[in-house]
Amino acid sequence: MKLEELRKIRERVQNDLRLRGGATRVKIVVGMGTSGIAAGAREVLSAFLDEIEKRKLTDVIVTQSGEKGLASKEPIVEVIERDRPKVVYGGMTAEKARRVVVEHVIHGTVVEGDVLAIVDAEKE
Amino acid sequence: MAGRLDVLVCSGGACMSSHSLEVKEELVRQLEAQRLADEVRIVETGCMGPCQYGPLVLVYPEGVLYKNVAVSDVAEMVAEHFLKGRVVERLLFRSETADQIVREHRSIPFFEKQMKIVLANCGAINPESVEEYIGAGGYEALGKAVTTMTPEGVVAEMKASGLRGRGGAGFPTGTKWDFVRREASPKKVVVCNADEGDPGAFMDRAVLEGDPHTVIEGMAIAAYAVGAQRGYVYVRAEYPLAIKRLRSALEAARKLGLLGDRIFDTAFSFDIEIRVGAGAFVCGEETALLASLEGRRGVPHPRPPYPSTSGMWQLPTLLNNVETYANVRHIIARGSAWFASIGTGESKGTKVFALSGNVRNTGLVEVPMGTTLGELVYDIGGGVPNGKTLKAIQTGGPSGGCIPVQYLNTPISYETLKELGAIVGSGGVIVLDEDTCMVNLARYFVEFTASESCGQCVPCRSGLVRMLDILDRITRGEGSMEDLALLEELAHTIKRSSLCGLGQTAPNPVLSTLKYFRGEYEAHIRHKTCPAAVCAALFVAPCEASCPAHVDVPAYVTHLSNGDFAKAFDVHMKTNPLPGICGRVCYAFCETKCQRAQIEESVAIRDLKRFMADYAMEHQLAGPKPGARNGKRVAVVGSGPAGLSCGYFLAQRGYEAVLFEALPIAGGTMATGIPAYRLPRDILEADIDRIVKTGVRIELLSPVEDLGRLFADGYEAVFVATGAMKGQTVALGETLPRGVVTGVEFLKGIHVDGASEVGDEVVVIGGGNSAIDSARAALRLGAKRVTIAYRRAKADMPASPEEVAEAMEEGVEILDMTSPVGVVGGERVEGLRCASMAAGPFDASGRRRPVPSDRPEIVLPASMVIVAAGQEATGELLRGAGIEVAKGGLVAVDPVTMGTSRPGIFAGGDATSGPATVVEAIGAGRRAAIAIDRFLGGPGAFEPEERAEVATDYDEDAYTQEQARAVPPMAEVRTRIRSFAEVRGRFAKEQAIEEARRCLHCDRQQTEDGACCESSASLAAEAKTR
Repeated sequence: MKLEELRKIRERVQNDLRLRGGATRVKIVVGMGTSGIAAGAREVLSAFLDEIEKRKLTDVIVTQSGEKGLASKEPIVEVIERDRPKVVYGGMTAEKARRVVVEHVIHGTVVEGDVLAIVDAEKE
Repeated sequence: MAGRLDVLVCSGGACMSSHSLEVKEELVRQLEAQRLADEVRIVETGCMGPCQYGPLVLVYPEGVLYKNVAVSDVAEMVAEHFLKGRVVERLLFRSETADQIVREHRSIPFFEKQMKIVLANCGAINPESVEEYIGAGGYEALGKAVTTMTPEGVVAEMKASGLRGRGGAGFPTGTKWDFVRREASPKKVVVCNADEGDPGAFMDRAVLEGDPHTVIEGMAIAAYAVGAQRGYVYVRAEYPLAIKRLRSALEAARKLGLLGDRIFDTAFSFDIEIRVGAGAFVCGEETALLASLEGRRGVPHPRPPYPSTSGMWQLPTLLNNVETYANVRHIIARGSAWFASIGTGESKGTKVFALSGNVRNTGLVEVPMGTTLGELVYDIGGGVPNGKTLKAIQTGGPSGGCIPVQYLNTPISYETLKELGAIVGSGGVIVLDEDTCMVNLARYFVEFTASESCGQCVPCRSGLVRMLDILDRITRGEGSMEDLALLEELAHTIKRSSLCGLGQTAPNPVLSTLKYFRGEYEAHIRHKTCPAAVCAALFVAPCEASCPAHVDVPAYVTHLSNGDFAKAFDVHMKTNPLPGICGRVCYAFCETKCQRAQIEESVAIRDLKRFMADYAMEHQLAGPKPGARNGKRVAVVGSGPAGLSCGYFLAQRGYEAVLFEALPIAGGTMATGIPAYRLPRDILEADIDRIVKTGVRIELLSPVEDLGRLFADGYEAVFVATGAMKGQTVALGETLPRGVVTGVEFLKGIHVDGASEVGDEVVVIGGGNSAIDSARAALRLGAKRVTIAYRRAKADMPASPEEVAEAMEEGVEILDMTSPVGVVGGERVEGLRCASMAAGPFDASGRRRPVPSDRPEIVLPASMVIVAAGQEATGELLRGAGIEVAKGGLVAVDPVTMGTSRPGIFAGGDATSGPATVVEAIGAGRRAAIAIDRFLGGPGAFEPEERAEVATDYDEDAYTQEQARAVPPMAEVRTRIRSFAEVRGRFAKEQAIEEARRCLHCDRQQTEDGACCESSASLAAEAKTR
């Protein structure tokens, strides 16, 4: 094989291996407590995963947590980025999730309308 | 849809043996059941490292590492963690120091200090997927080498990196490649030595099973550099999984064109074949390996010619080890300067070690060269488990040597280990604790190499067999000092004259154990004892062997198990006349060697002894009658355990023994230093009275000032047993205010004078039993708060863990890493100034030396400061008699005759050893009585009776099932701290008999087929299935 073909394989597989890479820029945490799931957190989760795969983002991971507590605002999603304050979104839907990926994760602009809170990194 | 979780299941050899594949299958089922199969990917990887804790499951992206995962845990893991995001805490690692759960695997102490280069992919990728290997950067280095570098350039990089052969010899790899490259032959061969014969070594196996492509890539780069077209991997037949994975990796590589013709479209063509070994250790030696590769008998030949000039099929051959090849692609990809920045001056890069033996975290670890032995064993290995102490570290397998605890600060490198008489070797590291017999260890290695000798040369073929013969006889108690001299001579000769590395290094374990543990060899030869209680021919049972008084533990415990309490007492009195005292305060060396601990816990021997002694006291059982008087008189100075024991045994032999005691009470440190809540006064007095009734006289308030006077008064020999009763002080200042006392003074004050003023806040300095005794006594005298300040870590305290636990239950606070530097106060002490310490480098005792930390000083409020930091003897009495006294006031005596430099004057107990234990003093007293008897014309040793095994009258098999150790009743904490009443209670009669029946009777002689009795044969068979 040629060297370029090796590189192509590598790029393709790296995406698969990104979960183990450890070089994460953004971590998205979807609240998956019972109330979250009842409010549709699973669809939000799937949407995030799908959008990330479509756009081949290798430095973004999606995890889940338990009950966030604020049942009326579920599904709740936290976007945690190195050296930036944590952004907590509420009332998320699959569509809003995709918007967050494009505007916030890729372009760096917080989606104001859906924000519940912005938490200073130090305070936490 | 993208995966959300990568769940890595370790399928290294050890985890597979622990059924990790079944865990994986259950994971598949559970993921299906929870409909998560699309989101969660399962990856089977190679060895993750901490083999002790398998099956291991590593979940990304969080990096959570689960240990000891059972099939029954999987449902919970999937439901709680994968579905709901709640990590299953009970399956996580616990940090030993912080007693905290550690989730993230990189923070687990085991992994923190490691640097994975060779093992980078092991445990991280699926070894059966060439794509994952490429995704992780694989074959980039090969591409770079063949398309952008010249062969000379590659060799230059290898030279500059400083990599040395990892098979054991440590020859500079780049230089070896250069030799082969320079050969002007169109055909050359590259060989990988994957024979890995050292017992306990499995580094190469892990690489071949967990990341085979890294070896293929390394070999291909090597072939390009030296000009070879064909490669062979010689794998030992005992590695079927490695062979399978390597075979599949080769096929995958060929399919992608990474092996075969015109690699990466260049003129370089190369392919690799696998050849399987046939079970011979000697085929790890390069010339024997090459012979075997050619289909001939695996037998070495002298060098020159070296394989680089004439190797396989007489072609120039490059032969390197698996680990060496595994380093190559990293060096080429990241550059020689990067590699050379790791490690020490002469030993660059990392080394993979297989940690095994008596260490908590066994498994594979990879550390930069220069990591110290102490860091390897303690920080990464987790230290020695089960409360045992480290004795030595064996490195390099059968070609290596052992390194004792004084060298823990040694940074690991080829040079440093060689200087110590050991070698880095292939990387096997065996941690040895106090229960290891170094003579038996040497014998084990020589037995291995002697049987693996190819037989070509006389030194190895015949010499090793002769060495084994001598070692066998020594372990059976049939060795002589001439044998030892011959053993050493043989070792040196075999080293110098053997044809190949097997013979040249086989004597190393013997030479290195002789260097550091000669005393153990001499004990086997001169005293026919095995200090570690391993060589069965030399002792009755491990418990009896470890007892400094050699009490026949199996005999008396078996009598107890039959309900024959009086017979048990008689056996005990034969070698130890203080059962009441020992049943309360003995250190119980016997329990540390009790083999019952392999089933659940050791037998509660000391508590059984206490039961027996109480029975004897209540039934007023007398000791044996004294022997008929022979008219000779012996004086004993001191009425502590050594003096009492000596007097008792002398009276047995018919001597008139008189003990001169300076204090108004008898018992020595037992009376003045051990509080009544541990040793009630009536028990102490009963034991002493019993001895007096056997014909020993004690003169109280009769200090001896001049030993010569005793001889003038008609005594024909003198035994000095004055103990070590002077408390050591700690530097706290020039003049000290009132209220600062030594532990010795404090405790003596309570027992002799009845003094008891402590105030509200007491601080005790020290970490031994004396410190604990002082602390608990102070509490009982009314102190509101008692604190112990100890300068090292709590785990390093010499006090028995039981005592420490009881003290803490009672409310004593223990501040470790706290070292006293001064006192606060005018006329009376008000506080103790302490520096906070940090753990520094290891000292000669194998513990970390405390060094000042940058935390601020603290002041502990104190109305009394008790310094219990050690005790010394005062040597004036002996100096006055012209006998040499060493530092600490200790007198040197011949270990067999117990004689000092003046004939007729003997000494024993703490006066010769420094503060030790009651039972050691009792043993010394008996040895002295025997020696004095010999000195005065008697036979010396007591008549050796034929030892009769005690038969049992119950069904022994019933007691081989798991049965928890009996626990005696303990006084409730709140009441017990208000008085000096005894804390520990006694077994009821039935309890004692049941507990005694847990004894495995290790004293039974073996029958023809090796079993001691039916019970032990069935136990052994059962243990095999567990």
